[in-house]
Amino acid sequence: MDIFQTTSDSGILTLTLSGRLDADTTAKFSEVLGGCIDRGDRKITLDLGALDYVSSVGLRALIVGQKRLATLGGKIVLCAVRPQILKLLEIAGFTSIFPVAATREDAAELLR
Amino acid sequence: MSSVTVLLGNERAEIRRLGEIAEKFGADERLSDDESMAINLVLDELVTNIIDYGFDDTGRHEIRVTMAVEGGTLTIEVEDDARAFDPLAAAPPDLTLALEDRPVGGLGIHIVRTVMDTVEYQRRDGHNILTMRKTIGRT
Repeated sequence: MDIFQTTSDSGILTLTLSGRLDADTTAKFSEVLGGCIDRGDRKITLDLGALDYVSSVGLRALIVGQKRLATLGGKIVLCAVRPQILKLLEIAGFTSIFPVAATREDAAELLR
Repeated sequence: MSSVTVLLGNERAEIRRLGEIAEKFGADERLSDDESMAINLVLDELVTNIIDYGFDDTGRHEIRVTMAVEGGTLTIEVEDDARAFDPLAAAPPDLTLALEDRPVGGLGIHIVRTVMDTVEYQRRDGHNILTMRKTIGRT
């Protein structure tokens, strides 16, 4: 899995994930996300446009991040989610705890 | 009927190998993307769980996975000699809870039960056998 970080002018951090978020790769993702929260990022967009697969290990890392941010007044918004991944997020009940936006611009609106 | 049986050791590296075999099975059987992802998810969740939590010793164990398509039915069977564990005994997660009350785990078996139509557990001769079926529609 690859993770690209970008920060926009309005203080929103965007992490772009590609490939698989599974038992092999989730530790790396958690480390990156945790590091961003540690250094003060509170508004985070996860761009999942190039993410092919998420297992329950990856889902757990997502909810851990969202819970931690909630206690700090922050939030993760997901964007560009592929249909199959979106279906999985619905099965896992994540669409009620993660705002899902079509584009990064829409995600930025939800984080304002 | 076409079927593939894979024997796996109880180590994490085997999960990737299983994923590749499952992907090839899905392609050979002309399964839809949804059906292929269902197989991937089911095997990933179950086998990761067995390898990470199933064994009390550090010895080598074998996990047997069979994928089969017959008529319009996909069958997946996972057999292991790990300690007795009926994943169906767990209560389904409450997905209406607010974020702060939501547990972080317990989603794996819920996903398995949701993407497959039926899931049956048996404990036989010291083995756990989980048999799952799903109706598939070829396009």
